Amino acid sequence: MHRASDPQQALSACANGDGEPIRVGFGLRAPHYDEILKRGIAADFAEITSENFLGRGGRAYGVLERVRSEKPVALHGVSLSIGGVDPLNESYLSELAALADRIEAMSVSDHLCFGTFGGHYAHDLWPLPYTEEALQHIVQRVKHVQHRLGRQLLLENVSSYVEYRASTLSEWEFLAQVATQADAGILLDVNNVFVSAANHGFSALEYLAGIPRERVRQIHLAGHSDGGGFLLDDHGSPVSDAVWRLYERALARFGNLPTIIEWDERVPTLVELETEATRARSVSNAWFSSSRERAPEQP
Amino acid sequence: MTLADLQRYFATVATSTSGPPADIDAIFVSSARLSASERLGIYNRGYHHRLLDALASVFTHTKFALGEADFERIGLVYLASHPSEHPAVERVGRLFPEYLRTLDAVPNELADLATLEWARLHALVAANPSALESAHRIDPERFPYSRLRFVSSLSIHQVGGRALSLFSQKATPSEQLSTPSSSTADRAVRAVAVWRKRYRVQHAVLEELEAEAWQLAASGASVSHFCELFDSGAPTADAQHAFRVVATWFEREWIEAIDGSTLSSPDPAETSA
Repeated sequence: MHRASDPQQALSACANGDGEPIRVGFGLRAPHYDEILKRGIAADFAEITSENFLGRGGRAYGVLERVRSEKPVALHGVSLSIGGVDPLNESYLSELAALADRIEAMSVSDHLCFGTFGGHYAHDLWPLPYTEEALQHIVQRVKHVQHRLGRQLLLENVSSYVEYRASTLSEWEFLAQVATQADAGILLDVNNVFVSAANHGFSALEYLAGIPRERVRQIHLAGHSDGGGFLLDDHGSPVSDAVWRLYERALARFGNLPTIIEWDERVPTLVELETEATRARSVSNAWFSSSRERAPEQP
Repeated sequence: MTLADLQRYFATVATSTSGPPADIDAIFVSSARLSASERLGIYNRGYHHRLLDALASVFTHTKFALGEADFERIGLVYLASHPSEHPAVERVGRLFPEYLRTLDAVPNELADLATLEWARLHALVAANPSALESAHRIDPERFPYSRLRFVSSLSIHQVGGRALSLFSQKATPSEQLSTPSSSTADRAVRAVAVWRKRYRVQHAVLEELEAEAWQLAASGASVSHFCELFDSGAPTADAQHAFRVVATWFEREWIEAIDGSTLSSPDPAETSA
């Protein structure tokens, strides 16, 4: 497979905030495959759902080859179940490691949640109790996964609708502790912070302030909807204005990070998706331009 | 409660088809806006919706033929007894065709149709062949003693003719299924090959001899061995028949490798021809 220039280097350069324009991308989705095969994508990089490409061929793999020949590609999983008590699926990890190596993935990420029970897969991102026991359990599993992959794992905060009474840490404290103790990275989903803050009544800004800035490697943006008494993280609409504003706050704290638009329901045209990614670039560029005009931030 | 206890509790509530347990407020936080059981209900609906949606995306024709309500009712019972065992969500339908076959209320044609749709999914996602064998590289002297290796997307199934009609028509109302078909073609069970050629999944009915020959070849029989099946006592016609079948396999890109018979390198003259 012919590849574009070293994606890890590109990611690092961007994460260091060296003045390059922000790298924006979006998740590849099946309705766009035919068009992508014809003309590629208009974005800096792409993200794929790992499970849709493990051990597979055909059109999906053709799309991956097409995109990877021109752009870096990030692997984003949904079935690792890093917080689950079922044993980690070692054959899944082997396939994931092989895919990451084969495409020289820009990053490998999954969610801080559990999604397995009694040997079965929920195919959902179930929330964890934020306890010391869960923390130690997950830190060990993250270390194991990173050893198997031979690289750092990025953990994404999930949106949630319920909290456990047993939790002794806030979500951001838990995420920060896992990342720090396991030496993992963080994929900060700004929409998920917004949704969970609304659903549980905590401050999204306090959440951002509690995340160690040196751990955050990427940002996710997506749309949500009003579920009637709660916000639903359905990835079925454009990013809301409120989330764009929170994104600016995230940029202020974490720097000019690679940003991915996720869109899974009521998927728009490829051009509309690319336009949404371009908006992330514009928001970032505008924020950094105006911040340069303001007094420099105190360290 | 331990982490394992809490996860078991959550999974039980999130996957349940009955109501929430009485002690749910002792485990999860409620608020003025939403009770704990309402909050868990979001996960419960999400779990069933997502898996049912995955089934429907694979078995689109089966769903159409069954009707939406029956598909949902049958699907939910299936999912309760066959939860997902694979990281990829669409694999949750692995046992759905066999499950349909056990249901008295579901005509066999629909189990056949589901079998065909599952085979097409298998072909769609199968790994790419490492290479495709070209008939140009066959060493004619050794070919009869060689063995064929087939691409992993290829599978052959016994499918009733009615299921093939349902797949191609797309628009057969479910009530028509209760009417027994009088057509001989519809009643006949055929061997159907399903495979992927580049990005396109295809299926085709095989003649009986071809299906037997494929079965022998796939089990490791040599070319000369499976070609004996075509022996009807008319050597020239039989040879032509066998040749046509094997040539079709190459043309359909079924052959990943020929063990023990290819030339060491492509003939430049043939390659450029």
